[in-house]
Amino acid sequence: MMVRHRATARAPSAASADPAPAARAAHAGSPRATLFAAALVGLVGGMLAAGCGSTVASSGAPAAARAPIPPSLSTSLTVSGGGSWALVDMGGSRARYENFWQLIARPAATARWALATPPGVADNGGLVAAPLGGPALVIGVNPSQDLTFSPLATTRDSGAHWTPGLLPAGLASVPSALAGGPGGKLLALTNRGLAEMSAPGGTGWARLASLASLAATPAGRSCGLKSLTAAAFSPSGVPLLAGQCGSPGVSGIFSYAGGSWHQAGPALPAALAHRRVSVLRLTTAAGRTVALLTAAAPDGTASLTAAWAGAGGRWALSAALPLGGARILSTATGPASAAGVVLSTGRAETIADATAHWQQLPALPAHAAALVLGPGLQISVLAASGGILASWRLTARAGARPVAWTRTQVMKVPVPYGSSS
Amino acid sequence: MPGMRSGLNLDNPVLAAAFRSALLHQGLAALLIFGVLALLWVSVREWRPATMAAGSPGGPAGADTARRVLLGRLARGAGGSDPEPSWRMLLRIGFGIIWIFDGLLQAQPAMVVGLPSQVIQPGAASSPAWVQHLVNWAGTSWSYHPVQAAAAAVWIQVGIGCWLLAARRGRWSRLAGLVSVGWGLIVWVFGEAFGGIFAPGLTWLFGAPGAVLFYCAAGGLIALPERYWRAPWLGRAVLAVIGLFFAGMAVLQAWPGRGFWQGSPRDGQGTLTGMVQSMAQTPQPHLLASWVRGFGSFTSVHGFAVNLFAVVALALIGIALLIGAADPAGPPRLASRPRLILLVVIAAVLLCLADWVLIEDLGIFGGLGTDPNSMIPMALIIVAGYLALTQAPARIGVIKAGARLAAEAAASSGSAVAAGAGVALAAEAAAAGPGDAEPAGSGDAEPADRQPTAPARGRPGRLSPGRLAGAFEAADARTVLAAWALGVTLIGAFPLAAAASNRSADPIIAQAIDGSAAALNSPAPGFSLTDQDGRPVSLAGLRGKVVLMTFLDPVCTSDCPVIAQEFREADQLLGANRRNVELVAIAANPIYHTAVYTRAFDQQERLSGLPNWKYLSGPLPELRRVWHDYYVAVQVIPAGGMILHSDVAYVIDAAGRTRTVLSFDPGPATAASQSSFATELSDAAIKAMGSS
Repeated sequence: MMVRHRATARAPSAASADPAPAARAAHAGSPRATLFAAALVGLVGGMLAAGCGSTVASSGAPAAARAPIPPSLSTSLTVSGGGSWALVDMGGSRARYENFWQLIARPAATARWALATPPGVADNGGLVAAPLGGPALVIGVNPSQDLTFSPLATTRDSGAHWTPGLLPAGLASVPSALAGGPGGKLLALTNRGLAEMSAPGGTGWARLASLASLAATPAGRSCGLKSLTAAAFSPSGVPLLAGQCGSPGVSGIFSYAGGSWHQAGPALPAALAHRRVSVLRLTTAAGRTVALLTAAAPDGTASLTAAWAGAGGRWALSAALPLGGARILSTATGPASAAGVVLSTGRAETIADATAHWQQLPALPAHAAALVLGPGLQISVLAASGGILASWRLTARAGARPVAWTRTQVMKVPVPYGSSS
Repeated sequence: MPGMRSGLNLDNPVLAAAFRSALLHQGLAALLIFGVLALLWVSVREWRPATMAAGSPGGPAGADTARRVLLGRLARGAGGSDPEPSWRMLLRIGFGIIWIFDGLLQAQPAMVVGLPSQVIQPGAASSPAWVQHLVNWAGTSWSYHPVQAAAAAVWIQVGIGCWLLAARRGRWSRLAGLVSVGWGLIVWVFGEAFGGIFAPGLTWLFGAPGAVLFYCAAGGLIALPERYWRAPWLGRAVLAVIGLFFAGMAVLQAWPGRGFWQGSPRDGQGTLTGMVQSMAQTPQPHLLASWVRGFGSFTSVHGFAVNLFAVVALALIGIALLIGAADPAGPPRLASRPRLILLVVIAAVLLCLADWVLIEDLGIFGGLGTDPNSMIPMALIIVAGYLALTQAPARIGVIKAGARLAAEAAASSGSAVAAGAGVALAAEAAAAGPGDAEPAGSGDAEPADRQPTAPARGRPGRLSPGRLAGAFEAADARTVLAAWALGVTLIGAFPLAAAASNRSADPIIAQAIDGSAAALNSPAPGFSLTDQDGRPVSLAGLRGKVVLMTFLDPVCTSDCPVIAQEFREADQLLGANRRNVELVAIAANPIYHTAVYTRAFDQQERLSGLPNWKYLSGPLPELRRVWHDYYVAVQVIPAGGMILHSDVAYVIDAAGRTRTVLSFDPGPATAASQSSFATELSDAAIKAMGSS
C-alpha cells in the first residue's frame, strides 16, 4: 500500500512517493548517481580491457627459442689391458628421479659384463668416467636434486672395490668432464664453467681456468669460445681444455703450457670452414688423444668428425659424417683409437682411424643405449629397458662382413626405484 | 607458487581430527558467548525496569518516563519510521543465508589442506606474477596454519551471515554490510585472484568477475544509510550497472580468438567445452553429472550456437536493463514499463540459473566447493535492483504499531491516559520522518536522553556502566543476536590475524606427516667423535646444554639437506635460547663419512658459520656403534641408490637424558612442512630446557 505524505520542511524526504519531491530528489541524487555510474563504467571498462587483452594461448603461437639439448652422458671406453666400461642410463622417469646411471664393466680377458656402479651416493644426475690406465677408473657423480657437489670414486680392480673422493663443486654435464692424468692428478670441468685440477691423489683442488679467463686469451678469442665442453690430459701430461667455438672454422682445443693457454686443436679442412665446431668428447689413452667434433652449418645441418693426435700434437682428421638431423645418443672409444657413435635414428657408425671411412653398422637392437668397441674389432651394444640390460655382439659369418647382432648376455639390474624421492 | 602446498593428502586424518576439534571448541565458545549475552540481557531487563515502575503514570515524572519507554518500544515494535524495503530485506536475508552456507562449506575436511593448493593456486595460475605473489602470500599463510585458517573461515562467514540476518536496520545492520564488504574483498583478492580478471579466458559464463564481488556489492547496498533506501535513483543505478555489466560481458564473450566460438577445433577442445567437461569430472550426483556432460557434448558439437546464444542473451538483457533503468522521468513513466523490466529481470535470472546448473555445476561439489558460485548472488542483486526500482515507501506500519503498543500499555497500566498517550506518540513518531530516530531495536546505544531509566553518570556521552546497562536494557533480541554474531565473527578473525602474522608454521603439519613425538626420560648413549673441523666432541662434553641431534648423509640428494635446513630454522626460532642448545649431526654414510664430506655438506647448506652446529664423523666402527645405540639403520643400496638411513631427531637435555624422539622424515619437504618441523624441534628444545 502506498501512503502519500507531504514532505515536511524539517526533513525533506528523499523516500517520499510524492512525484514532485521525488523528482527533486531524483535530480538531487542524479549527480551522485551519474558519478557513481561513471566510476563503474570506468571499472567495467577496465575489466573489459583486461579481459579483451587476454586471449587463450593458441597452439599456433610461435614457440620460444629452444634451449640446446645437452650431450648425452652415455659413453663407453675400452682401454688396452683394462677392459671395457660403459655408462648407461636405466630405470624410469628422469623428471621423477627414477633414473639411475649404471657403470657396466667387462674386465680384460673376460666376456661377461658386470654391474660396477660405485655405491654410496645417488647417481640420478649422471656419471662421468675417466680412465687412469689399466683396470683403474675414476667416476664422478653429477649432482642431482639438493646435492651441489660431486662425490668421486676410484677403482683399481675393474670395479670390485672403490675408494671415495670428492670434487667440492658440481661436475659439468658433459661426457668428458673428468680426466685422469699423470701421478693421479685429476682435471674436472664444473657446472659453473670452471676447470679445476687436483694434486696427485685427487685431493687439493685448485682452479686452473674459467670460461671467461680462457675466452679472453688470444687462443680463446680466435675461437670465440662460448662454453667449455671437455677436459683431458695430453699424452705428455699437459692439461687440455676444449669447448664450443662461436667463430666458424676453428676447433676449440687448448693446452696449458708455460702458464698460458694455447690453441692446440686441429686445423679444420675447407669443408668445415663455415661451420661452428664443438668438441663433444676428448679422451687420451694409449698415447693418443681422440676428439669427436660436431660441426654445425648455418643452415642447421650438423656433421661429426673424429680427430686423433699423438704425443707430438699433430692431428689427423676423419671425413665428416653427416648426421642428417640425428642426435648423438652415445659415444664410444676403443683400443687403437677407434671411435663410434649411436644415433637417434637407430643406427651406429664406427671409424677405426684417420685413414678409414665411417662404417655404418647393421640396424641396432631395440633400446640400444651404448656402443662398445672392444679389443680385436669386437663390437658390442648394450641395450637397456627399465631394469633389464642386454649385451649384443656383432657377429659375422666366416669371411663375411658383420651382418647380425647376437644377444650374449642379459642382466637384471636392481634399479632402486623410489630411493631418491 | 611455492609456498602454498603443505604436501599432505587432502584426507590426512591428523589434520581432519584437529580441524574437527578446533571447530568444536570454537563452537562451544560461540555458545558460551551467546549464553553470556543472553544472561546479561535478561538480567539487566529484569533488574532495571524496577526504576521505571517507581514513577506513576499520573505524575509528571511518571508520564515523562512512560513517554520515553513507549517511544523506545514503539520504535522497536514498529521497526523505525519506515519498514525495511523489500530489496534490502532480500539482499540481507539472501546473502545472510549464503554466507552461512559458505561458512558451512568451509567446514568440509578437505578444506584444511586442499584450499590453497587445489582451489586458490589453480585459480591464480594464469594470472600475472604480481597477482600470484599476492595470492601466494595468503595461500602460504593458510598452508602454514591450515587448521586455524580453515576454522577461521568457517566462523567468519557464519558470523557475517548470522549478523546480516539478525540486524535488520540501523548501525548494527550497516556494520554487518560493511564487514561483508571487507571480508568479501579479502576473499576476492587473495582467494579468487581478483576473480580472474587479469587472467586470460575471462567470461561471464565461468563467473567473472568473481562471485564474492557480488557479495561485496550486496554488502555495500545493505550498508547504505536509511535515507537512501527509498531513493528512486537507487534501483535505476543498480539495474544500470548490471545492464552495463551484462553488455560488457556480451562484448567479451563475442570477442574473437578466445576459444569460445569453437566447440571442438581440430587441435583440442574449445574453451567452454573444456571447462564444462572438466566440471563434469567433479564427484557429484549422477543426474547432475549427466546434465553437465550432456551439455558439454552439445557444446562440443554446437559451440558456435551456444556462444551466439550467450552473446545475444547477455547483450539483450544488458541493453534492456540500461534502457529501462535510464528513464530519468521517474516512477510515472516507469509505471508504464514495469512489465518489460520484469520480463528482462526474469530472463536474466533464468539465464543465471541455467548457467549455474549447466556450466558452473552448482560449485559446491567435490569436497572443495567454497560457495555456490556467482549466479545466485548475481540473480539476487538483479531482483533486488528491480524491487528497489519499483517499490515505494509505506509508513502505515508505524501508526499500526503505535496503536498496538498503546493498547498494551493501557492493558498493563489500566490507564486510558496511557493508551491515549500511546496513540499520540505513534503519530509523533510517524511525523518525525526517517533519520530522526535511530531506534534502539537496530542495536544502537541510544543517546542519553533516550535512555528510558538510566540515571546519567559522569559526563554526557561517556561510556559508563550505567549507560551500558541502559543500552542493554533498551536492546531487543535482534540486537543481542547481532552482538553474538559479531562475537562469532571475531572468533574467526582474531586467530586468523594471529596466524597470518606468525611466520612459523604450526607443528601440526609435522605431526600429520610423522606422528607425534615420543616422550622419554632415559640416559642418552655416549659417543666420542670428531667435528667438521677435526675437534673431538663427546656427548659428555656437551653437558649443560640441550642437544638436538640427528643423523645425516653428507652426500644425500633429498632428505638430509631438508633436515639440515629445518635444524637451521629451529636455531633461528630459538632466538636467545640458542646459547643453551647444540645442534649435532652424525654422519650416516659408511662410504662418504669423513670430515671432507661433512665440510662440503656444511658449505652446501650454509651451516659453516653456525657457531652451535657440529657435524660429527669418525672411524667407521665408532660410527656403526653410535648408529646402533641410537637405533639408526644405515643401509647401502646398490645400482646408484642413495644410502638408506632413519630420519630421526633426538632431544637430549642438559643432564644428558633423552627427552624426546621425533620422527623426522621431511615428507613432501614443502616450505610449510619444513617450517613446521623446525617449530616442533624448537618447541621440544625449549621444553627440554625447562625439564633439566
